[in-house]
Amino acid sequence: MQVIAPAGTARGAPAIAAAAPTGRFGLERILLGLGVALLLLLVGYPLLWLLLGALGLPQSIGLEHLARAFTRPQNYAALVNTLELALGTGLMSVAIGVPLAWATARSDMPLRQLVHVLVALSYITPPYLTALAYIILFGPDAGQFNRLLRALFGLTSGPINVFSMSGVIFVIGIHVFAFTYFLTYTALKAVDASLEESAQMLGAKRWQTVLRINLPLVAPAITGGALLSAIDSLALFGPQAIIGTPAQIVFLPTRIYATIGSYPPRWGEASALSLLLVALTVAGLALQRGYLEQRSYVTVGGRGVRTRRLEHGLWRWPLTGFCLSVVFFSAVAPIGVLTLTAFSNSWIEPLSASNITLAHFQAALFTDQVSVRGIINSFKLATAAAAVAVALGAIVAYLDLRTTLWGRRLLDYLAILPLGLPGTVMAVGILLAFIRFPLPIYGTIWILLAAYVARFVPLATRSANASFRQIDPALEEAGRITGASWWLTMRRVLFPLARPGLLVAFLLVFIPAFSELSATILLYAGGTETIAIAIYRLNDLGQLEVVSALAVFTIGVVLSLALLVNWLSGSSWASGETPIRG
Amino acid sequence: MDFIEVAGIGKTFGTFQALDAVDLSVEEREFITLLGPSGCGKTTMLRTLAGFLTPDAGTIHVAGQLFSSPTAVLPPERRRMGMVFQNYAVWPHMSVFDNVAFGLQINNVGRSAISERVSRMLAAVGLEGLERRHPSQLSGGQQQRVALARSLVVEPAILLLDEPLSNLDAKLRERMRAELKTLQRQLGITFIYVTHDQAEAMALSDRIIVFNKGRVQQVGTPRQVYERPANLFVADFMGVVNKLPGVLIEHRGAEGHVRIGQQTIAARLGDGLSAADRAIVIAIRPEAIGLGPGAARDRANVLKGRLIDSAFLGNIVDHQVDVDGTLVRVQGDRLQSVEPGAEIELSIPIAECVAMRGDLPEHHEPEQDRS
Repeated sequence: MQVIAPAGTARGAPAIAAAAPTGRFGLERILLGLGVALLLLLVGYPLLWLLLGALGLPQSIGLEHLARAFTRPQNYAALVNTLELALGTGLMSVAIGVPLAWATARSDMPLRQLVHVLVALSYITPPYLTALAYIILFGPDAGQFNRLLRALFGLTSGPINVFSMSGVIFVIGIHVFAFTYFLTYTALKAVDASLEESAQMLGAKRWQTVLRINLPLVAPAITGGALLSAIDSLALFGPQAIIGTPAQIVFLPTRIYATIGSYPPRWGEASALSLLLVALTVAGLALQRGYLEQRSYVTVGGRGVRTRRLEHGLWRWPLTGFCLSVVFFSAVAPIGVLTLTAFSNSWIEPLSASNITLAHFQAALFTDQVSVRGIINSFKLATAAAAVAVALGAIVAYLDLRTTLWGRRLLDYLAILPLGLPGTVMAVGILLAFIRFPLPIYGTIWILLAAYVARFVPLATRSANASFRQIDPALEEAGRITGASWWLTMRRVLFPLARPGLLVAFLLVFIPAFSELSATILLYAGGTETIAIAIYRLNDLGQLEVVSALAVFTIGVVLSLALLVNWLSGSSWASGETPIRG
Repeated sequence: MDFIEVAGIGKTFGTFQALDAVDLSVEEREFITLLGPSGCGKTTMLRTLAGFLTPDAGTIHVAGQLFSSPTAVLPPERRRMGMVFQNYAVWPHMSVFDNVAFGLQINNVGRSAISERVSRMLAAVGLEGLERRHPSQLSGGQQQRVALARSLVVEPAILLLDEPLSNLDAKLRERMRAELKTLQRQLGITFIYVTHDQAEAMALSDRIIVFNKGRVQQVGTPRQVYERPANLFVADFMGVVNKLPGVLIEHRGAEGHVRIGQQTIAARLGDGLSAADRAIVIAIRPEAIGLGPGAARDRANVLKGRLIDSAFLGNIVDHQVDVDGTLVRVQGDRLQSVEPGAEIELSIPIAECVAMRGDLPEHHEPEQDRS
């Protein structure tokens, strides 16, 4: 055998071009560098402006905005209301999430599969749509259930007013309890039956086993879920505005919105309030992380765990009743009433053949200008945001998992950071950053794209990371050593193998971007309305039938994409279960 | 200059010194094995040779050309090397044919030439007829053959193998061992093979390079490394060895006298043993020891001991003998039986008693397990 000049180099010519210490070259560095720059611009730069803005920049510099944020009575009231909301939803999520999780994970209750699916459905439904549905159901005068209750019990007014603090807590609670439910469900599924059987062999009765073995084991999951529910409820601008504002109950996000919407806009105060909201979120997340990490006895998602379903005898009937009523209020009733309203001539009238119409769908999908523009903009924005976020997420994940680059962990942290930030906060940062030189894109559709990418890049990053993590790096190394360049190896080996995972990442960004409200409301302008803005505006105009038609359409799109994700994740490669080896 | 010249290669991961001033040279067409326990640096060395890792110090030259240095690394795809990975790394989204054809396609080999060369290669590794299969439809052994065919079809000058047989069951492993050796002879390619299995290393290699804690301990043919280990680590790693602590009381040329407990024996002095070393260890392979004075040949030591226990293992009997408080393992004949408790004499040829330093040279302690 004739040896050797390295392929592609002429004999005698220097075999080596000077290379970087990491051994990375040309195109690779350019692509990865571009990704890092874009991430810094879209996430790092706006967050920096949030801090600068709170200090009064660019007009002045000082601490008066921060001081005002904490001394104005309106702001104080907003803080107290927000804390009350968080506490209320956190407790509510435990009260309904834990029994449901037990019922579906460990009991022999009938219909448990249905309950599980309906909890997922209530989580998928954008919470501002649930809020709209509850106005139709429990509006103080015309609400469907209120009229039903009045007829049943011969009352003259009420009896339930959704426009109240308990109304807000309830409507947000039936959305966010899904966090507690799913975390507890997973933890209960991960308790191996042998742990319970050991207790029983020592003479423990079933209730003793549950109390002494199961509950302590899943306690960290329950606490973590309650904290996540509470944190998420802080950020939900939609229900806070749709139900809270008519009731004159102000929360931090709606207060920030009002501060920015005032004339002249008080950006310094808005930034300061945003930092307060960030502080609450970060404190909650730190607590939650601490709980899950230090007190997690159960290996979540552990393999080979054997669980036993416990027979509940007659107790399973009240349990079924409880579970069904929870999912009735969280999913069936809101989606049902929106659907009925969308098909009714007038939502006040009872359902009858003469009251059925498709006119509202026609208005929502074809004739109403704002609505049609909203649909088109939402599709465009969600597609573009998902594409950019997946590219960024893939770059961050690649740097994290496949290189030894300094600062890659920091980059990963930056890409995950927006996950914990309320949309309102992200929007204030984006607004301050992009309203002026050097990138004055405020008022254009580009600022919405920037906001969506910044908000949802964590979802793409986590998904891409999970996808790359399953792929044995040796598969790429085999490509290199067989003679393929870095880019060719990417194209022929990594991308084809990661494609199902990256498609899931795309959808995971597309779905929330499609119905995004809390950041959009601060950043949209005439012409760049999205679906969520159309719904919000039409609701203000009192056109509940058209709003419902648009809501049904939105839920339809979101639900079908969520089903697609579920199906893709269930199929081998994207499931996160099977590592890809040779 | 030899075909592959590795000079002073060092590599650290964080605070872990994976390679410490490694020098090696490999001749063309040699079958060379990097052998050592996990975390010893052998895989780091292989990945540095492949160009996946940049050394912190030192150089690698191949055929006189600089391949790696701390400031310049020839990318893997331009090294004309092949590599077979521990877990095969056969691409799951490509058929057997596409896996093997990959390297030819990217080098713009013509369609018909590809098909002909792939078929020839698949026949050579015994996979004819499986071209259209996907890796998920293949056994572990078959996937390993695909990986071999894929790296050999592009006619590399050097093939790197990273524990390629460790995921196969014992029988298949032995068969693949023989096939690998034959293939290497036929193709005349330089094989650099990484393993932690000393039997595999001895069966395959022209020369073995024993690694420990990032350093080369010894380079030699299998026989040299087994029979004349450079230090206690190599002696221990290459197979079962009895280590009898003793005191060197005199030495004359290549031999000396060593006191073990109440008895004195003659021993060959190992490499690197200096006159100043008094407390030493005598290394003796169990199969070198005969039971009873009758087993003595010329120039043999006789040690007295008491038989503690024997285990019948089929082809051999494993005896445990107490020699002045030290337990000595003796590999005995299955036809010879002794009752436990009996006082016996062990006869050991002087050449098989090697006096070595009891401690190992100073090393950086590994902080984590890396292979």
